[in-house]
Amino acid sequence: MTDTIATPIIEPAPPRQRSPLWFAWQRFLSNKAAVAGGIVMSILILMAVFAPLITPVPPEAQLFLTQSLAFPSAEHWFGVDNLGRDFYTRIVYGARVSLSIGFIAAGFSVLIGIPLGALAGYFGGRTDWVIMRIIELFSVVPPLLAAMLLGTLLRGGYMSIVAIAALFGWVQVCLLVRAQVKAFREKEFVRAAQALGASPWYIIRRHLIPNSISPIIVGFVLAIPLAMMLEASLSFLGIGVPPPTATWGQMINEGINFMFYYWHLAVFPTAALAITVLATSLFGDGLRDALDPTLKGR
Amino acid sequence: MLGYILRRLVSVAFTFIAVSLIIFLMMHAVPGGPFDANDMPVSEAVRAKLMAQLGLDQPLYVQYLKYMWGVLHFDFGVPYQSPGESVLQLLSRAWVPSLVLGGLGVLIGAPLGILLGMAAALNRNSWIDYLASAVATIGLTIPVFVTSMLLILVFAVWLKWLPASGWPNPERWILPIIAYAAIPVATYARYTRSAMLDTMSRPFVTVLRAKGLSERRIVFQHVLRNSAIPLVTVFLPMFIGTATGSIFVEAMFRVPGLGAYFVSSIETRDYPLEMALMLMITFMYCIAYLLSDIVYALINPRIRVGGAE
Repeated sequence: MTDTIATPIIEPAPPRQRSPLWFAWQRFLSNKAAVAGGIVMSILILMAVFAPLITPVPPEAQLFLTQSLAFPSAEHWFGVDNLGRDFYTRIVYGARVSLSIGFIAAGFSVLIGIPLGALAGYFGGRTDWVIMRIIELFSVVPPLLAAMLLGTLLRGGYMSIVAIAALFGWVQVCLLVRAQVKAFREKEFVRAAQALGASPWYIIRRHLIPNSISPIIVGFVLAIPLAMMLEASLSFLGIGVPPPTATWGQMINEGINFMFYYWHLAVFPTAALAITVLATSLFGDGLRDALDPTLKGR
Repeated sequence: MLGYILRRLVSVAFTFIAVSLIIFLMMHAVPGGPFDANDMPVSEAVRAKLMAQLGLDQPLYVQYLKYMWGVLHFDFGVPYQSPGESVLQLLSRAWVPSLVLGGLGVLIGAPLGILLGMAAALNRNSWIDYLASAVATIGLTIPVFVTSMLLILVFAVWLKWLPASGWPNPERWILPIIAYAAIPVATYARYTRSAMLDTMSRPFVTVLRAKGLSERRIVFQHVLRNSAIPLVTVFLPMFIGTATGSIFVEAMFRVPGLGAYFVSSIETRDYPLEMALMLMITFMYCIAYLLSDIVYALINPRIRVGGAE
C-alpha cells in the first residue's frame, strides 16, 4: 500500500490477459520433478519411435548364439540374452510395447470415460445412479485379478491388453469429468443455453466437454502409467504380450532365473521399467497439479 | 446409524452377488475347458464320465446355483489339480505364508508410513519431507515385482546379506516383508502428509495457537484426530494393492503361498479353486469396503445424516 503512494509515477500494468493455460504452464515449469519426468518421457518416446535407427540388429534375430549370455561390452551395450539376441535392442523395442500400450489404452479410457462422466454429471438422478453402481462394481473387483481372467479369456496378445487396460482406466476419467460437469451444469451460461432451447447433447458437446478439458488431460496422462503397469504385470505372469515380442515384464520374469550369474538380464529390464513408469507418473502428477491446483495431493 | 449400516450391507451384498456372477460367467466363457484333448488325452467316454461326475455337463445356471449353495455351507468343492483334498483344506494350507508375510508387511508398513507422513508434514520442505515424497512416489508407481527385483539384486545378489527366497525360516522373511511393506508405507506417507497439512491450514488450528496451547497438544489432540478421516478411506485401495501384490511378491521370492494358485488355477481351468479364490478376495474387499464406510461414518458425524451419498 505505502509503496504505491511513495512512487510518483504509477506504471499501469500492460493490459495483457494471461490465459489460464499460461498460468498452468508456469506452475508446471516450477515443478522440477515433473519437468524432469517430462524430459525423460520425451526421450523414451523418441527412442521408441526411432528404435530401428538406433539399434544395430532386429530385436528378434538370434544373431549372436555363439555369444549367448555374454556380459555388457562395447559391441553389445547391455550384453546378449540366453537366446543370442542383442539385449540393448530388446530393451529399446520393449519401450515401444510399453509406451504404445500406455498411450492407446489411455486414449480408449478417455473415449469411454468422457461420455459416461458427462451423462452422469449432466442428467444426475437415475442415470447417475446406474453409472455410479457400475463404477462401484469396478472398485470391488481387484483390477489385476480381473485382468488375469480376461487375459486368458481374450487369449493374451497386444490388443487384449489394451482392451483390459481401457476397461479399468475409464473409471478415473469418468469420475473427473462427472465432477467437472456437475460443477458447470448450474452455471449461468449453461442455464442461458437451456433457455434458448439447446438440446442436452448440444450443451454437453459445445459447453461442458470443452470446459472439462483439464480433467480430461489429467485423466489421460494418469491412465498411461496404470496401463503400462498392467501390461508389465500381465507379461510378467506370462499372460500378456506373447514372446518373441520384446516386453520388459517378460524379460524381468526370465531374468529371475539368471540373476545370480548373469545379472545384466535382470538389471536392465527392471531399471527400464522403473524409470519409465516413474517418469510418466511424475509428469502426470505435475500436469495434474498445474492444471487443477485444487486436486493437489489426491 | 443402524439404518445406514443396513443400507450399506444390502448394497454390498448385491455387489458381491453381481461380482460372483460376472466372475463365474467369465471363467466359463474362456474357450476350452479343464479336460481338453491336448491337456488330458483320454477317450471320449471317459471325458463324458468325468464331466458328468463334476457336474460340468449341466447348464451353467444350475452349476452356478449349485456352487453358490455349496458356498453358503462352506463347501467350495474339490480342486481339480489336487483332488485328494477339498478347496478349503488347500486354502488353509497355502494361506499361512501369505498371511504371515503380507500381514507383517502391513503391520510394519502402515505405522511407518503414518510416522513418515507426520514427520514430513511437521517439517515441511526439510530433507524428511523430500524423503517422504520420494518414498511415496516410488512405492505407489513402481510395480511390486520391480521393487522386489531391485531388493533381491541389491541385498541378495550384490551385497549377499540376505537370501533371495522367502520361506520357511524367519531370516528369509525380511526381503518379502520389505517388498510387501512398500505399498502401505507409500500410501500412508502420502495421505498422512496431505491430510495433516490440510488440517493444519484450517482456522481452528490458528485459534488453538492463539489460545496458547502447546504445539505438541495441538498436533496430538486436534490435528491428528481430524486427519484420521482420509486415512480410513485409503485403507481399501491399500488393502487391494497389498493383496494383489502377493501374487508378484510370492512369485519373485518363491513363497509357497496363495499367490501361485491364482495363476495356476486360471491356467489349468480349475473352476472350483478359481471361483473360491476370486470369491474370497471379493468377499474380503466387500468387508473392507463396508468397514471403511462404517468407520468413516462413525468418526465423521457430518456424513451420517446424508445417508448413502
